[in-house]
This record gives sequence, C-alpha cells and structure tokens, in this order.
Amino acid sequence: MPRLVAIEGAAPWAPLWLRRTAGVAGAIYLLSIWLGAAGCGLPDQVLPRPLRFFTQVAELFPRAAPDAIEWRARGWRCDVGQFEEVDVRPFFPIRRDDKENQFDRAMFFYHHDRPVLEALDAYLVDAQNRARPDQRIGGVMLLSLRVPIPPLGEPGPREHWIATGEYPPSVTRKYWYSTASLARQDRCQAAP
Amino acid sequence: MSYFRLRDWLAAPQPIERLALLRIAIPLATLGFLSSRLVHADHWLSPVGFHVPDLGGDWRQPLYLPPMPVGAAWGVAVAIVLSGLCLSAGLATQTAAALFALLVGYTTLADRLEAFTVNKLAPVLTLALLVGPSGARYGVDAWLRRRRDPSAPLPTELEGGVVRFFQLFLCTMYSASGIAKARGDWLTHQVLWTHLHDQYQTQVAWLIMGVLPGWIWWALQWLVLAFEVGAPLWFALPWTRTPALVVGLGMHLMIGLMFGPVVWFALLMGAILLACFTPERWIARLAELVRLGRSP
Repeated sequence: MPRLVAIEGAAPWAPLWLRRTAGVAGAIYLLSIWLGAAGCGLPDQVLPRPLRFFTQVAELFPRAAPDAIEWRARGWRCDVGQFEEVDVRPFFPIRRDDKENQFDRAMFFYHHDRPVLEALDAYLVDAQNRARPDQRIGGVMLLSLRVPIPPLGEPGPREHWIATGEYPPSVTRKYWYSTASLARQDRCQAAP
Repeated sequence: MSYFRLRDWLAAPQPIERLALLRIAIPLATLGFLSSRLVHADHWLSPVGFHVPDLGGDWRQPLYLPPMPVGAAWGVAVAIVLSGLCLSAGLATQTAAALFALLVGYTTLADRLEAFTVNKLAPVLTLALLVGPSGARYGVDAWLRRRRDPSAPLPTELEGGVVRFFQLFLCTMYSASGIAKARGDWLTHQVLWTHLHDQYQTQVAWLIMGVLPGWIWWALQWLVLAFEVGAPLWFALPWTRTPALVVGLGMHLMIGLMFGPVVWFALLMGAILLACFTPERWIARLAELVRLGRSP
C-alpha cells in the first residue's frame, strides 16, 4: 500500500514576532479564565472590562437552582382598566421559547435596575400597542414565577409555557416593577 | 519543566488534521449558535429590538455599543455568515478568520443579553486559527495551491504552537469550570437535576429523567466533577488521555441532548476535544482513508 506523503511541515504565514505576541496573549487569556473561575480578583484588576468579559466563560452552572424561574409581564389594559398577562414572546423573537431570549435575559440580569426596567416597559407598551391595537396597554407589571423543582427521581410534567393564571398556588409570584398609575393614564389617553 | 523542555513541547510537530478539524468545526458551531440571532438581525443589533440603555459603567455592561441601522445589522449578519463559511471551507482563510473574529466579537459586546459562552469564546478561538497555518490542508486555499503547483509536497504536520494552545485551552476550561463547580454547590447539592427543569429541558432530557433512578444523577455529577477538576492530569498522562477523551465526548453528548440550546456549546467543545486529543494513530489511519477515497 502506498504511503500517504513524505512528512512535510506547513509553513506558518505569521512572522515570528506575531506568533510570540499571540503566544503571550494566549497565555494571559488562559490564566485569566482559570484565575477568574477560581475566585481570584486579579483579572478584574488588570484587564480592561471589554477584554475581561471574553474571559468570563468557565463558571458553568456552579449552583443548584432552588426553583425554575419564569419571567412574565402583565399589561394595564386601557379598555378594561386592569392588569392582564401579556404574552411577550412574539416581541422577542430570538429564541422566543426559552430563557435565551432578550426579555428573560434582561429580567435575569437587571430585575433590580430601574432604568433597564423602564426601557423594557416602554418597549413592551410600544410593541403590544402596535401588534395588538385592540388590546392597548398603558403600562406593565414585571414579575417572576418560582416554579418548584420536583424531588430527585420524580421528573414531573414536561416543561412548557403556560399562562401565569394556570400555575398552581405553590408557584410563588414576585413583582419587580410596575408602571406608575399616572404614566399608565397618560399613555392610555394618548392617541393610538 | 525547564524553559527548553517547555519550548520543545510547545513546538513539537502536530498532525495537520488537528488544525484542519478545528478550522472546519469552530466557525460552523459558532454559526449554528448564532443562527437564531442572525435570522433576527434587526431585533439583535438594530433599534427594532430591545436594547439595554447605556448604564454608564455598570459591571454587567462591559462596553456600551449603540444599536446600528437596520440595513447595517443585516449587513453584519450576512458578513458573519459568509466569513464563517469561508473560514470553515478554508477559502481566503486568514482574511475570513480576521473578519469573523472581529464581527462576532463586536456583536457579542453589542448585545450583552445575547452573549453566551459560545460567542464569547469564538472570537479568541478564531484569532488562534488566524495565527496558525489553518488553510494549509483540507480547504479551498490548499486545493488552489495544489492546482497551481501539483508537484509541491502536501503538508502533513505543523509546528505545534496553535494546537498546543487549543489543548491547553481545553484543560484550562475544564479545570476552571470544575473548580467553579466545586466552589459552588456541586459537592453538597444535586445540581444536574435542578438544571433539567427549566426551559432548557429537551424531550430527551425528560424521557431520561423518567427512566434513570435518582442515584444516577449523583454518580454523573461526581463523574463530571472528577473529569473537569482533574482534566489537566487526565490529558497530560498518556494512559488516561484516551479514556478522558471518551468521558469528555460522552459528557458533551449528554449536554447536547439534554440542555436544548446548549447543543452548540456541546458541539464546539466536543469538536475541539476530538481535534486536540484523538490519538495520532487514529488520525493517520483516517487521513489515509481520506486519501484512498480520493484516489482514482
């Protein structure tokens, strides 16, 4: 059987100085990943934040989840004068059915941050009123549902989206934000 | 280890197939992950979608980049796809790698909400591909070179630096992840089970959970922890390297099957693992089969 080819090396295109610089940068990168995950604050002190961001990759699922969290929104219906659930998934089409969508991520990172929640409020009101003009809203309530995780070995029902009202009482609700009533009135009175 | 031994170890020749597989797989896994963002580029990068306002130095927002016009967002999306496919095919390899790294890095910073492990890793891994001779074999650039000069010998090896980076990356990533897990709840709480009960849950995960007894989840958790924390050792020792490869691939297979969108991360890491630690004799055999398959 013929041999493949004589052993021959692929010539590097990059000059030696560039390969050496890349080697040093690579070593700093790997060290930063490791130190960051090990709880050392050195990378935070040394690296600029945009670079540090790219080294924060190794802390994958370190903690047990006490509950499964669902992030939801209720809209203040202008026509009936009460809060009702708004299905926000069509307004966040990137991975709309799982927690990688922008609404879940925004709530996950910023549920304590008023400026972000206000921006989310404005976005949701605008999106709802454009998409469903017969169900205009003047503001939102943003909340989380804490769905208990079944005991080990008892998987429970298959996970899927259900309306907030269909969850049993064991699922607790926590409200993080509500549009001020004056702002709701102003928006409802504004021309569509 | 002395400086000279370290230098020799870093420079030791590696089969070119390792780098070729990395070049093919990394952009494809990244594009797979980004595909759900790319098809909604307007929501992802332009004011059509929701964007976190400028928080002026908030720790969760490493750099504020304002949304771009809708046309530009679609342009970026198209450029990411084209540069990723070119890199994977080994066409204009260096240019494609530079563009792909730059654009994926930009979009990762531009939308913090859609920044995950895959698109945080991809720019750096692609820059590593850029530095190495990634288009030397098994790609369009190599084919064009061969057409120009059929008598030129085909490269079969490369100086090991780039491949060594990927090998060290894997060991660092696993080890760091294992340490973070040990510092978290993995020694005291059942973690795997709890993360299978949210929107990441797949049909396969739900079926497996219904079949396996509870104690298995503790066994799997300990196996993952031992594999990750000890990864530098398992991959350094010749007699544990192949078993570690099998365990690692099995772990990524389970992640891919059970954690929904994490499948792209599993594919990325699984491919890097295969490229870095498949035994050389297996690679030589595979390369020979490829060559024989091409022969008339």
